[in-house]
Amino acid sequence: MFTDYFYFCREKGLDVSLSEWLSLIDVLDRGLAHSSLTEFYYISRMILVKTEHDFDKYDMIFEEYFKGIKGDFDDISETMKKWLDNPELSQMSKEQEFARKQIEGEANHLDKEDVLEKFRKTKQEQDSEHRGGTKWIGTTGNSSYGNIGGHMGGVRVGGYTGYQSAFQVIGERKFRDFRNDRVLDNRQFQVALKKLRQFSSRLDVPKSELDIDGTINKTCNNGGYLSIEMQRPRKNTVKLLLLMDSGGTMIPYSSLLNELFQSVNKSNHFKDVKTYYFHNCIYSHLYNTPECENGDWIETEWMFKNLDSNYKVIIVGDAAMAPEELYSTTGNYRGPNDGLSGLEWLNLMKKHFKKIIWLNPKMAPGNAPWREAETVCKNLFFMRKLTVDGLKEGMKYLMQSGN
Amino acid sequence: MSINENGFKSTDTYIASEELMSAVNVARALEKPLLIKGEPGTGKTMLARAVAASMGMKLITWNIKSTTKAQDGLYMYDTIQRLYDGQFGEEGVDDIAHYIKLGKLGEAFTSDEQVVLLIDEIDKADLEFPNDLLWELDQMEFYIYETKETIKAKIRPIVIITSNAEKELPDAFLRRCIFHYIEFPDRELMEEIVKTHFDHVDDNLLQNAMDVFYEIRGLREVKKKPSTSELIDWINALQLGGIPYTKLKEELPFLGTVVKKDEDLDAVKKNKNQFT
Repeated sequence: MFTDYFYFCREKGLDVSLSEWLSLIDVLDRGLAHSSLTEFYYISRMILVKTEHDFDKYDMIFEEYFKGIKGDFDDISETMKKWLDNPELSQMSKEQEFARKQIEGEANHLDKEDVLEKFRKTKQEQDSEHRGGTKWIGTTGNSSYGNIGGHMGGVRVGGYTGYQSAFQVIGERKFRDFRNDRVLDNRQFQVALKKLRQFSSRLDVPKSELDIDGTINKTCNNGGYLSIEMQRPRKNTVKLLLLMDSGGTMIPYSSLLNELFQSVNKSNHFKDVKTYYFHNCIYSHLYNTPECENGDWIETEWMFKNLDSNYKVIIVGDAAMAPEELYSTTGNYRGPNDGLSGLEWLNLMKKHFKKIIWLNPKMAPGNAPWREAETVCKNLFFMRKLTVDGLKEGMKYLMQSGN
Repeated sequence: MSINENGFKSTDTYIASEELMSAVNVARALEKPLLIKGEPGTGKTMLARAVAASMGMKLITWNIKSTTKAQDGLYMYDTIQRLYDGQFGEEGVDDIAHYIKLGKLGEAFTSDEQVVLLIDEIDKADLEFPNDLLWELDQMEFYIYETKETIKAKIRPIVIITSNAEKELPDAFLRRCIFHYIEFPDRELMEEIVKTHFDHVDDNLLQNAMDVFYEIRGLREVKKKPSTSELIDWINALQLGGIPYTKLKEELPFLGTVVKKDEDLDAVKKNKNQFT
């Protein structure tokens, strides 16, 4: 049958296995989908897609394969989508409500082809963000294309639904919020942190706990004479060191960092958790509080002496530093440097701890020259963006043995 | 004939979407476990009860906790009882089968009639837990080492598994399931759901309460979004308190039943004027 679709899904990055595919064929053979596209959509989704994170992906695959209407709009640039993605504007004012009613009548006469044609044209011409107005693709406007607009029956480009009436909801993207690449919330942090587990029973530790079941069983088999059985304790041996940047450029991310901090504290499965703060870069002292007050600190050297190299280290920061903050031995404008530059301190970190990851909330791809400090840190440490995927990769790296 | 015509349907107390009904029926037809995910309060656990009720089957519930192990669902070997008995030379100590107690899975397998087996909140358990059940759920059988006996399902139970998405489930496990994500109910469905819970609801009160409820859910500052059960509690409180619906949006009485966190309460109060 239409094996094409199987390969199409896989090609588009949806990891469908053969057994799942066969299940789907089985359902179709039995006529359970009732030759209805909608039922087929739901049934194929429930069999092929196993997480709501992929629903969005599947919607797009399905749409592309079965309708072929996506093609023209695939090249809507990311920037354009950003302009349109303005949830805070979704509260419509009364005036707009009124304007909408007026336009509604007129919209019914719009020709679909006509709107699409105009949309394509305008897309090519447009070079800036638009709100309001009647011509460009933008938000809260009355042109036939864009988002949260008062115009009925036009082409909506991404974003949230204003009136549910665009005749082609380009990328309805109902499940976009579930995608893995969005920024994390507290629960997801905790889930990711749970990956940091290493039960000592898998390690070479002495058998120091009484195995009650084993003992009883052995005793029974022994005719009631006590026979003791010992086992290895099953405890998490992972120790965690969390270092958070609380410099000025991190302020926009403070609630995100707060979430991460809370999740680490709530995760009670670690053997030990230590949290310290730094300002832009790690120097000779680490602060006890996010306010980074001089005096309320520990010496970084003390940390090296007291926290052994097995601590898994998570550094959270945007690595947005001026070059002298990284290279100069007097580059720390908040506190002492103790004769070493920021980079040297970072190297000491790397030397001491076996496993360090750096999570960066605003990490950008590539190595732009104005983000030199980020590039340096990226080369030094395993750096990922602070998203579900980034954190997962980080956790995986932390749990790998060796290197 | 559509798949939904002869299978699971909405009951008096449980409203299922078309999509959900076909998920249940596909899972039944393919004899695969149905994995249900969704926000808390979207009725995941209720679903199993409804399925059992609508098909007239017995429901066996296995509640998963953080300490639950796969073995617990299969069988327990009561070694302590055997030790006691051994001390006093009771009869039958030499027969281990005496001390094997079947778990919920075992109970479902040995049942003479088809049952609905609910494995509730599977994500609460250890990460490896679902993998430990792969064989048992696939083959619907397990082996008791102590007595060298195989327990095989007489009639395959309908297996419904719920998850709050606290932990990710292993791929191998997911591949064997039919997956359904319960979306948060929209207004129309919500109205139906609320009405199944009350004999009589004042329509104005319901509409006003739902206005506020969906507004609160829409607020970006609100961290813990209120769920269905909270709306139902609220409407119940409003009715018992005899609050006139005209005052509802202004005064937001009994707001604590809907919003549970201090910071969320502040956020709601700040945005109160939006509701009217």
